[in-house]
Amino acid sequence: MEKKLLVEDHIRRNKRQTILVCSFMAILFIAVVLSLGYILFAGNIIIALIFAIPIAVGYVLITYSISVQTVLSAAKARPANPANREEKLFMYKVEEMSIAAGLPMPKVYVQDSDNINAFATGKKPEEAVICATTGALRKLKPDELEGVMAHEMSHIKNNDILIMTVTVAVVGAIALISELVFWSLFWGGGARGRKGEGNAIIIVLAIIFVILAPIFSRLTYLAISRKREYLADSNGAYLTRNPEGLAKALEKIKEDHPRGKPKGSKTVAPLYIANPFKSVSVSSIWSTHPPIDERIKRLRSM
Amino acid sequence: MLLWIGIIVIILVAFFLLIYWGFYNRIIRMENRIDNSWAQIDVQLKRRADLIPNLMETVKGYMKHEKEVLENVTKARSALMSAKSPQENIDADNMLTGALKSLFAVAENYPDLKANQNFLQLQDELTHTEDKIAYSRQHFNDVTLAYNNTIETFPGLWFAKRMNRKTRDMLKIPEADRELPKVKF
Repeated sequence: MEKKLLVEDHIRRNKRQTILVCSFMAILFIAVVLSLGYILFAGNIIIALIFAIPIAVGYVLITYSISVQTVLSAAKARPANPANREEKLFMYKVEEMSIAAGLPMPKVYVQDSDNINAFATGKKPEEAVICATTGALRKLKPDELEGVMAHEMSHIKNNDILIMTVTVAVVGAIALISELVFWSLFWGGGARGRKGEGNAIIIVLAIIFVILAPIFSRLTYLAISRKREYLADSNGAYLTRNPEGLAKALEKIKEDHPRGKPKGSKTVAPLYIANPFKSVSVSSIWSTHPPIDERIKRLRSM
Repeated sequence: MLLWIGIIVIILVAFFLLIYWGFYNRIIRMENRIDNSWAQIDVQLKRRADLIPNLMETVKGYMKHEKEVLENVTKARSALMSAKSPQENIDADNMLTGALKSLFAVAENYPDLKANQNFLQLQDELTHTEDKIAYSRQHFNDVTLAYNNTIETFPGLWFAKRMNRKTRDMLKIPEADRELPKVKF
């Protein structure tokens, strides 16, 4: 078995890695914006910057400001109803975990779905939202639900909700720019009299880069997501003092085969406690989450 | 030469003041956090004491032969109401937790009571309050531990002495509390 790390060490190592991956994302974003400007203005970098930066930053800011609503409506989530006993007990659990974490009580939402899942979102702890599926409320025992809520509360405490919200916005912006370039090539054929201006080879390289950029940004995003999951698992266990609760919940998620298609969009999949679209047990650079078996193993070794 | 020594001394003093400033604020902030989390526990304890009369009112009609169980709850409640120090509060609360556990265990024998919506609601809420108290205590101990660590390790130790600060007591949480109550029939 690998060396047992203290929660504090986990946190420190994770912070370092997150900063590294986030800076890579920022550099990638800047490079894409620059390339876009370069392609559009055939090498006049100053005009390119004046044109591209406000659009790119504007896009990220707008996506950021409407993020909570976007996520909630993608999941078709509704506010929890205290008249329903299951949902009332769920609100109670959220409140208990917020007390344990010393954070304000988040808003509580419910998603009608047979899956066992949950997510947290928001820009800061004071405006956070926690959402669980009705499947989770029905199928999880109190201590398991508590483990899941502690995991989500840790995402809030570690500011993952902000990191993920901004990253989603940047990934979206890069995808948009890439698509724009792709289709303008397709329709316009690049025939806008830019002969002689700039360097043709660089423009071609820039185009290739912009078209491939979404792949890189997605991979970076997934890497950030996986890092934050392990951290939230260990911090969650610290909140409940009961790693077994979350471990049992993850086991249930693994063995659960709900009917019907999962709801929600793939872009927000990393927000959930387990990927709602598939249950992979192998680690891959395309996974939103670390393999569930590995997570259970780590929880049980605490 | 003298000028250089002067500059170095000034820089050192400024550096020291800056660190002192940082630690002063940190210690005060942590103390406020401890006080605040104690206030949280207190709110929950009050809430719990307030719920008991309602519960007794609901249960009274059903449980005619469980005088002792009911009396224990009432006794624990008045102990909680008259408690002064934090540890007294916690002890009385532990007593109440035990008494309520036996009450809810005995309630299993009364199907009519178990079907009573009012009783169910109170049971949920009392359990919730109990959990909130447990987590408030845990949080209180977490922040107290962080505070004690800060003022007992170097260099915090040094500033804490200057500020006349002493370590705070953590709340003792008895393990026996977690055992299930034994019910006599």
